[in-house]
Parts: sequence; C-alpha cells; structure tokens
Amino acid sequence: MLQAIRSIFLFVVVIFMLTGCASMTFGDLFAGYAQQMQSVTIPAANGRFDQALQQVTEREISDTNYVLTLLEKGRLTHLAGDHNASKTYFNQASIYIVQQKLKAKLQLSQGVQNIGAMLSNDNAITYAVPDYEQSMLHSYQALNYLYLGNHEAALVEIRKANLVQRAALENNVDEINGAIASLLGDAELGWQSVSAKYPEMAEVIGEVKNGFQNAYTFYLSAVLYEASGELNDAYIDYKKALAIYPNNRSLQNDVLTMANKLGMTADLAQFEQRFGQYTQVDIENEGQIVVLYDEGLVKGRDEILLRLPVDTSQDEMRFYSLALPVYQESHQLSYCAQLSLNNKTLDFSQIVAVEALAAQTLKSQLPSLITRQVIRLITKEKMRKKLSKEAGDVGNILANLYNFASERADTRSWLTLPQSSNIVRSHLTPGKHRLSFTVGGMNKQIDVEIKASRITLVNITSMGNYIDYKTVNL
Amino acid sequence: MKSIIVSTVIGITVVALAGCANKTVVSYGDATAVETTDINFGSTDLQKVATQMTESLILSPVVGTLTADTRPIVFVERIKNKTSEHIDTESITDSISTKLLRSGKFRFVDMGRVAAVREQLNYQQNGGMVNPSKAIAFGKQVGAQYMLYGNLASIVKSTKDKTDVYYKFTMRLMDLESGLVEWADETEIRKTRETARVGW
Repeated sequence: MLQAIRSIFLFVVVIFMLTGCASMTFGDLFAGYAQQMQSVTIPAANGRFDQALQQVTEREISDTNYVLTLLEKGRLTHLAGDHNASKTYFNQASIYIVQQKLKAKLQLSQGVQNIGAMLSNDNAITYAVPDYEQSMLHSYQALNYLYLGNHEAALVEIRKANLVQRAALENNVDEINGAIASLLGDAELGWQSVSAKYPEMAEVIGEVKNGFQNAYTFYLSAVLYEASGELNDAYIDYKKALAIYPNNRSLQNDVLTMANKLGMTADLAQFEQRFGQYTQVDIENEGQIVVLYDEGLVKGRDEILLRLPVDTSQDEMRFYSLALPVYQESHQLSYCAQLSLNNKTLDFSQIVAVEALAAQTLKSQLPSLITRQVIRLITKEKMRKKLSKEAGDVGNILANLYNFASERADTRSWLTLPQSSNIVRSHLTPGKHRLSFTVGGMNKQIDVEIKASRITLVNITSMGNYIDYKTVNL
Repeated sequence: MKSIIVSTVIGITVVALAGCANKTVVSYGDATAVETTDINFGSTDLQKVATQMTESLILSPVVGTLTADTRPIVFVERIKNKTSEHIDTESITDSISTKLLRSGKFRFVDMGRVAAVREQLNYQQNGGMVNPSKAIAFGKQVGAQYMLYGNLASIVKSTKDKTDVYYKFTMRLMDLESGLVEWADETEIRKTRETARVGW
C-alpha cells in the first residue's frame, strides 16, 4: 500500500520534473483550461471586465499556459479601456510567440515535455498560439495604437498580422496533409475508429475553409490602409476579405468602390458581373463611418470522452476512454444588430466567426492530437500493469484512479475573444451625428464626429446586457 | 529498484535545474561593433543607414554646388516607417542630422521643439520677469529652405527553416521654394536567419 502511494507520488514528481523548464500548475493536471477559466468568462460575459481581470490566474513565464494569460489580460484590459496596459500585455505575448517560433527545430525540452505529456495530458505541452489568435492579437494591438493616437504603429501591427496570415497559408497546407498521411499509414492507432466517433463540428465550422484566414484582420487592415491613402494595399486586402466572405454586401461594395477609384477597369467589369452594377454616389466632401461590432464571447472547447476498444496482449478486449477537445454545436443566440442613422436603418454583416476559425484549427490539429492520445493510453496502461504487478490491487486501483483523473482533453484557447465581429459602413455629412445601435431589444446612442473625406472608426462591443463603444478618427 | 528511481529523479532534477539556470554577466562593448542578436532592425542597421546616407548627401555634386558659398537651412520632416516592426525612425533622422551638422555644410531647424520654443518666447515676452529690451522677439527666426524626408520599407519572408528580411531606406532632399527634389538615394540591407537544428 505504502509502496504504491510512494510510486504514484514519485510518478507525479517525475511528471513535474519532466516538463523541465516549463511548468504546469497542479490544477492544469486535473482540470481543463476552459473549466478553470469560468471564473473569468462569467463576469466578462456580463461586462464586468475589472472583476474578470482579477480572476485571471497569475502564471510564471515558464508555465505552459503563460502566453494565454497574457492574451486574456490583454483583451480584458482592452475591453476595460486601459489601452496602455493592453498594449504592454499584447506586446509581451507577441515577443513570447516570436521567441517560440525562433526555437530550434528539434528541441530537447520539447521532447522532455512530450514525455511529461505522455504520462499526464496535453496541458503539459507549451501552448502554441494558433494563427487566428495571432492575427486577432495584432488586430487588437493595432486598435490599441489607434486609440493611443499612434497611426503609424497601428499600421505596423497590421503588417505583422498580414505576415502571420501569409506564413500560415504557406506552411499549413503541407503540414496538415503530412500529418494525416503519416497517421493513415499507421492503421494500428485506430484513426478510423476514433474519427468515426468524433463529432463532425460541421455546424460550428460553417463555410470556413481554414482556421487561419481571418477576414476581420484583412478588413481592419484595408480600412487603415484606405485611411492612410495607400489605396492599392487597401484594395488587395478588401479583395482578400471578400474571398473569405463572398456574400458580404458591404465588402462587395468596398471592392467595387476601390476598383473604380484605382481605375482597375478589367477588375471592375468582372466584379460588376458578380455583384451587379456599381453606381458611383456623389460623395464630394462627405466623411465615412466604419462600424465594427464585436458580439459576445467565444465559446470554449468542450471535452468528450470516447470509449475505444483496444486489443490487449492476452487477446481480451478492453475499453479505454480517450478525452478529446471538441466544439459542441452552438446554442448561443446571435441577435440581429442594426444601426440607424439619418432615418435609415443599416444591417450588420458578419466579418468573422471566431468559433468557426477555432473549430477549424482544432480539426486540423486532430490527427496529431489523437496520435498523442493513443500513445498516451498505451503508456498509461503499461504503467498500470507495472503498478498492479508491484503493489497488487491497491496499485491497480490507484493507477486507474490516476489515469482517469489525469485524462483531460486540451481545452486551451483564447477565451476572451468575441464570438463574432460584424461590419457596417456608410457615408455621412461632416459634423456631429447621433446614431442609434439596436441589438436584442437593447438600444445605445452613439455620438460620432465626422470629418470631411475622412474615415471615422466606431468599435461597438456588446456582451449580455453590456454595450459600449469607442470612436477614433482615422 | 527504489534507489534506481530515486537516483533517476535526482538526476533529472539536476539536469532540469541546470537547464533553467543562467548567469548574469554585465560587460562593456564597442558601440559600433556588428550586432547580430536577432534579425530585427538593430544598431548596426541604424549606423549603416545613417553613415551611407550622409556620405552620399555630402559627396553628391548637386549638393556640392548648393553648399559652395552658403550653408543651406534644412528641416527634417520624418522617416515614414512602412516595415512590420516598431522602429524608432526619429533615432535614424537624429543620427543623420547630427552627422550633417558635424560636416559643417548644413544648418538645421528643429521642428520637434517648436512648442517648447514658443513657450519660452511667450515667457520672455509676457512673463514679466525678463528685461523687455533683451527679450527675444517673435518673428525673427529663419525658415528652412530644404526638406529632408524618407521612407523605410521592408519585405519579410519566412519558412520554417529560414527568415529573410530586406530593408530599403530611401531619403530625399526637396527644395521648398521650387519643389524640386535635389537629391535622393537609397540603402538596402538584407539579413537572413536560419533556424538551429537542435537546441534546448
């Protein structure tokens, strides 16, 4: 009995040692990230950002989830209106991400982490910030710089975001195909049986084709380029955003306007065929308003347990459970938002559904995730056998308990991102205007000042009963 | 058996701790030494850009005739940062204007301190503390004849194994009266970084 307890204890110590310089908190070993974060997301979902901020767990730089803490804090301070603090957090996160990227191809510490993860769960592996989260990070950082009055730095962040998206496009395709091919070659791992039981997530993903092309970033980038007079760059990014959301009326109009302005007659004719005739409105001396509306908070990953039959060496079937992260069908309600100005009502159109990007990213990670999970299952089963041999039934029970408790899916993701972002855009005469924003029975008056031939950016955030907005003249 | 486990744990602990430990060493170095800490815009790039630009400007024949019997008054507009890094471009213009001043061929007006000058002149004129006959009057400054401005652009490409950064720094000198660009030059910098194969 004593020996068994000692073995288990040593075993847990070894896991913590094995993670090497990277550490995980005790909570991470037995509870998923999404579950731990509930004390943050619940107040945040009701607009109590300061309270949420206090609930974010402090983590050391060596912690495997360190960068997530920075991201959550950066977004919460951004929402709370403390743009200097937000800038600092996002800056730290972005330095951390670059450092991770620069690391050697074959990392000894990663090998050690993987062994640690074999014996516990994927939370022992340093969180790799997915591409969509990186592009969102740079987008919010750009907004921070805009609110602080530094337009040039905002454009630098936009370029960083575009670099992330371009690199993702080049690198990801081969990687995903490679992972699936190598997995299919190894039929023993039961990819078929797992994927047959794993939910499709089709409803969450919708029409999103990959997890890294983020139309929100392209759109913000295009608007900023347009405001700074770099119309060619703006045109390219409007087109990229349109490629992701081809049915977005606002984007169609932007592309047509820009093609017309730049004299791209061939392009214009082609786009007019797709979207209808472009009629140039007389906009002499008028200003423009661009409204970005961030709705709610993104849903976290859920955990599902799959029961898998595995043939043991004694030719008996045993069932093992695999914990895998999944995005469940969304039951979050999305209200139709409207903006009224000068007696006309404009509808918002979606520019990003963060959950769809997240689910698509998860889907592309699944092959390697399942491989690790199956290897982990075998490792843990070996440990159980060894313990039951050494310490009898008690060892067996303890090992089973440990295996059960430590079998946790990797539910880590940036949870304070919005559920979706939507856009609306219109021309207005220069001067002060009062707009009315309506969503789900709630109403908010928005005061903006429009300047001649300039763009005014309005960023509205709504969560639960909370609505707030921020404006900046570009 | 037990002793093996214990010694393994101790061994791993030692390795893990040694991996984390690092000694802090402070030392002085050469300010103009080549710096290759990372691939980002660094001190070597700044020095290279500033030196090449000033040399090109001073040695250019057009500028030679401009500065033959007079010292033209120049103001530095700014260097527009069009890269994907946060770079203090004011630091580049500072280096360039300092080098040009040192050459003795140009004179500069500093637009960055106009507000401070106005405040000081206001104090001298209206503060009631300065002898009115010795206070500096408004409207006596001389205006710039030339404007120095530029762009810093970059192209970044990266794969898993390699990152390549190309910087292009362009500078121009404009005659404010005629609007003619009297001088222009560019400097290019290319840097590559290869990812290490094995590391901690």
